[in-house]
Amino acid sequence: MFRTARLPSAFILDSFMNLFDRILSWCIVGALGFGTALPAFADEGLIKMHCGKCHSGAEPKGDFSVHDLGTAPAQESIDLWTASLDLVKAGEMPPAKKSQLTTSGRHKLVEFLSDKVQSYAAQSQHSHEIAPRRINNREFKNSVRDALLIEDVGTHQPTDNLIGDSLYEGFDTHGETLGFSNFHLEQYIDSLRKIVDATILDGQQPESKHYEIDSRQIRSAHTSQNLKRPERRGKREGFDFLDPKELAYFEDFPVVPTTGWYKISIRCTGLDRGYYEAEKTGIYDDDPIQLTVVMGNRERTFDLPDNNIVELELTEWLAAGTRLRFRYPTDGLTLRGNGNFKFQNAIAGEYIKEHDPELYQQVADSIVNKPGRRVLRPESWHHWVDFWRGPRPRIYSASVEGPLFDSWPPARQVALLGKNPSVEDAASILEPIAERAWRREVREGELEPVVQLVQSKKQSLGDVAAFKEGIIAILASPPFLLLNTDDLTPQEEFAAKFSNFLQSTIPDRELREAVEAGDFESFEGVYEEVQRRLESAECDPFLKTFPYAWLKLNDINFMAPDPDRYPHYHRKKVSDDMINEALTFFRYAVEEDLPVTEFISADYSFINADLAVVYGIDDAPQDSKLRKYTFTDGRRGGFLGMGAFHTVTADSLGTSPIHRAIYVMENFLAIHPSPPPADVLIEEPDIRSARTIREVLEAHRSDKTCASCHQSIDPFGWAFENFDPVGSWRDAYDDPTLEPVSKRQRQKRPKPEGIPVDASASFLNRAEYRDIVGFRQLMQSKANSDRFIRCFVTKLLTYANGEEPDDYTEIEKIVAKSAEHDYHMIATIAAVIDSPLFRETSR
Amino acid sequence: MNLNRRMVLKSMGGTLALPLLESLSFAAPRPTTAPTRFLVVGNPFGMHPEHFFPTDFGKDFTISPTLRSLEWLKDRMTIISHTDHNMVSGHGREISFLSGVLPTDAQAFPEKNMSLDQLFARHIGSQVRYPSVGAALDSGIRMSWTANGVEKLPITDPQELFNHLFLNLSPQEKEQRREMLQRNASILDTLGSQFEGVKRNASRLDRDRLDQFQTSIRELENSLADRETWLDRDKPSFDIADHFVGETTIANKYDAMFDMIAYAFETDLTRVASIEFPAELNYTDIDGVNRSYHGCTHNGRGEDLVKELVSIESFQIARLTRCLNKLDSIREPNSEGTMLDHTIVLFGSGMGYGGTHSNRNLPVFVAGGGFKHRGYIDGRDNSGNNMPLCNLYVTLMQRFGIERDSFNTSTGALDLSFS
Repeated sequence: MFRTARLPSAFILDSFMNLFDRILSWCIVGALGFGTALPAFADEGLIKMHCGKCHSGAEPKGDFSVHDLGTAPAQESIDLWTASLDLVKAGEMPPAKKSQLTTSGRHKLVEFLSDKVQSYAAQSQHSHEIAPRRINNREFKNSVRDALLIEDVGTHQPTDNLIGDSLYEGFDTHGETLGFSNFHLEQYIDSLRKIVDATILDGQQPESKHYEIDSRQIRSAHTSQNLKRPERRGKREGFDFLDPKELAYFEDFPVVPTTGWYKISIRCTGLDRGYYEAEKTGIYDDDPIQLTVVMGNRERTFDLPDNNIVELELTEWLAAGTRLRFRYPTDGLTLRGNGNFKFQNAIAGEYIKEHDPELYQQVADSIVNKPGRRVLRPESWHHWVDFWRGPRPRIYSASVEGPLFDSWPPARQVALLGKNPSVEDAASILEPIAERAWRREVREGELEPVVQLVQSKKQSLGDVAAFKEGIIAILASPPFLLLNTDDLTPQEEFAAKFSNFLQSTIPDRELREAVEAGDFESFEGVYEEVQRRLESAECDPFLKTFPYAWLKLNDINFMAPDPDRYPHYHRKKVSDDMINEALTFFRYAVEEDLPVTEFISADYSFINADLAVVYGIDDAPQDSKLRKYTFTDGRRGGFLGMGAFHTVTADSLGTSPIHRAIYVMENFLAIHPSPPPADVLIEEPDIRSARTIREVLEAHRSDKTCASCHQSIDPFGWAFENFDPVGSWRDAYDDPTLEPVSKRQRQKRPKPEGIPVDASASFLNRAEYRDIVGFRQLMQSKANSDRFIRCFVTKLLTYANGEEPDDYTEIEKIVAKSAEHDYHMIATIAAVIDSPLFRETSR
Repeated sequence: MNLNRRMVLKSMGGTLALPLLESLSFAAPRPTTAPTRFLVVGNPFGMHPEHFFPTDFGKDFTISPTLRSLEWLKDRMTIISHTDHNMVSGHGREISFLSGVLPTDAQAFPEKNMSLDQLFARHIGSQVRYPSVGAALDSGIRMSWTANGVEKLPITDPQELFNHLFLNLSPQEKEQRREMLQRNASILDTLGSQFEGVKRNASRLDRDRLDQFQTSIRELENSLADRETWLDRDKPSFDIADHFVGETTIANKYDAMFDMIAYAFETDLTRVASIEFPAELNYTDIDGVNRSYHGCTHNGRGEDLVKELVSIESFQIARLTRCLNKLDSIREPNSEGTMLDHTIVLFGSGMGYGGTHSNRNLPVFVAGGGFKHRGYIDGRDNSGNNMPLCNLYVTLMQRFGIERDSFNTSTGALDLSFS
């Protein structure tokens, strides 16, 4: 539990790496090798008396010796001090069994440790400065968009060539991990060129064209690699969407020919919703039939009325090269066979068999089995393709008109460069762009190289195109691509960081001016602005990215549940629902300004029909919309009851209390157990054996080296044993010696009785629980709530800074500020932003 | 590029005829002696040990199930047991495969966590058109790292690899490309001159990252200049149409990539190549594989799952085998032996075995390269300690013509002589 004890190498993780999967068993090792040359014991008495018995000698427990503390905290021991403080405060050390520490004795010990930690903080000249870092790809897209005053970087996927950002602990803000190289720079320049080319148009205004699209001119693009089969076309009565994987396109307008505004209208309807049973199609009756218009990387989804023709109208700025596609967005129609659409056709046969036996017989009779070929039975999907009446959108006709322009050059270009930009005025034209991009005022003479570039290109490229080169140079430069350099004043840096934290983009002028005016020097000022911005719906980047990174949602399918045993999870893409559940909960808590502790204390969450199946809920509405749902069994609600957490910490066939314990400790309690020493051999799990996980992990209790750490770790994980690898409740383990059975077999014979789950455990401080219900109560203790707040604060700072903060005292100040406001979300976020750890100022 | 893709995909039925070597004027001027090349193939999860490691040491070892497709090469390969980079268990350490150094510890080493292939590429420099070529399907496994400690990403699509290595531009396209290179060069010029101002105020903390930026500008400038020079020389022509007849499976995609690498070696477009088998790739086209690669590593020793895992691993080896066969069928011009005898082939992973998350006992073998191969050897020293994998890398470096006797965590060199 000592922060320094972890190996730094353990924390470089790439995007697919699941920390909790990395290792089967962990130990807490305070493996610091500087115990030898240190002076006497830390305190005359207290520590020696209460801790020294176990934590001293050649083989101290948990590999931590009180010798390591020295007489007072020093740079190399401060983390041991803060970890000790945390454990003693929580009553977890000294362990109840071994010590007679009274309440007042504990109080004294806490006071002693806390004084020492604080006086260390007071005298150390710790710098909170964070090294500059490259902006990540998310920030790049948003920032370029805002610097160029456009709605997005363009529909022609101009940033697809960027090198993906590697994650550090789930976060994409870690400077060291992001890196910068000539490859990055080259891709940035290429990408910027594509964006600028679709923003600034040169030459004559292109002529607009009108395309009328008849249903027979709509085609379905190939989904498989087999290019030999002819593409399906629409029929006279309309183009129907069958396979959700299918992308349809207009024969005459597959790709946008010229950049500009386009008006797209589509006459369409939704057909046959609920015609087949939802159980068969996997599409809920209450979900509307939808149509998604895919314009490169921009998508618009519409709900279609049933059997009523509607005319959808879109007006969009589309870049040349954008592919225009249409699809039916649903996670259904995958329940048959291996999930491929063709197998669904059998549903039509079953329907006809029940409702029109005569027709069924006719079709069955007409089947001619060719000699030597496979005999196809009447129920086989092959015979029913033409009878399919599953829910589907239909397009009757459509039209596209464009490129259209409000003026020439287009207004958006005029806003950027003016009507007739001349390179003579390059400095004044480029200055506002540079000011936005560089997050500060442009200094005297600073634009000179860019102006020279623009002027030198006039001859070969002409005025307008020459400006494009200048804009690319402004956006490929260090002041744009690097965040947090000394190039900015503290005020400019704060504005940039603030904006980046909430909106992942460059600061707007208003924000920069307010910071300059000193509006955000106080907690109150920050609070108001955070509140205002969160209410303005501008903070989507924060509301999505932060919880996604914090909860490691990126890893949810790194070790996906076994597809044979958990078909619902795969067929209905339940991981998407789980991720959305977590994100929706987070957004709700922030928007309602709930106390931070609500994340673990809530008895509700946000579920839809797919999640209801996993959670065993039978009174949820039958659709895909997430709605608030209150659980009455004390088992679920908040993060601890979410399938996202249970899945991300599970293996595909089994669960491990250790993975889950580590996840809880690191992400909810700010405790960092260290991996076991390199020479520990970890036993590979063996599903062939009938031992339960508890028996397998018995070694942790019998082996002393393991036990001294695992008795502190494992109790944080046992409580979740009732949740299987997808987070469904189980009272018993499946008998692991049985081979997985097919669905048909499962239906035939009753599920064999398994070994009952024992989800009880006790902590070193004698606190114990019988199951998840008891554990959830323990998590709401004062000590654990404090840890949770501290953890939340730490994670926010990790997101903001890219690095985990290590100044315990400053973090405690934020927690105290949050406490003053009853831990409400906005106040806590504001306290983080107001902290020297965010501002990067020394105290 | 879309147009070109179509052209290639449509021009089916062409044969994979390799042009005669004498006509290779389009590549670099032919070296008068045979160059030494390096091919490394890696995966992120190691190998199921019982199926990978042979059961008996020595030159006469029995080929193991996973390596069965390499039986014909038995006399020209060395499998080494008990090597590692002394890393603790868990995912995330395998990215140190080719350096023995994790990014977090890179500052402590003069070449940071630069990978062996990039070290070789730097040694070759601009003698060839492409100092190194990396390819994978889907995504990489973070195997290649440059001297700045930055990841070098593989090309992840056979078509893109084709365009990169072999697509010749029309004179008009060349002109456009040249103009673009020049325009980009002017932008870099501008960035360079802006830089002084930014750097003036920089504190010590800032300087590192700014240096990284400045180095990037300089390297890109050099690279653009090199590209402009090469622009005039035609690339060799290569027909990949054959690889896309019928359904495209990951097998023929990998085969296409390996073939392109082999041909790039043959025409001296490059001398250093890496191929990666990523974690997220869908291996289900392989017979008998239904689960994810990662899922199969956590098989709980269930027989079916182990079988699936071994199928994936054998598949990886089989793709490599096919390439080695090809290299061995081509005589090395200006020298004795086949191209394989002049190509150091390294297979391995920075992870020992995913099932236990162990990073000990890395599955590693070397083939070809003109070594006096030793069959299956025990990497342990007399006291039973594992051999640092960097010892092998020192040997490979020496074979590659780099006169060094240490590399990162090496304690010596593996005894593997070459003629």
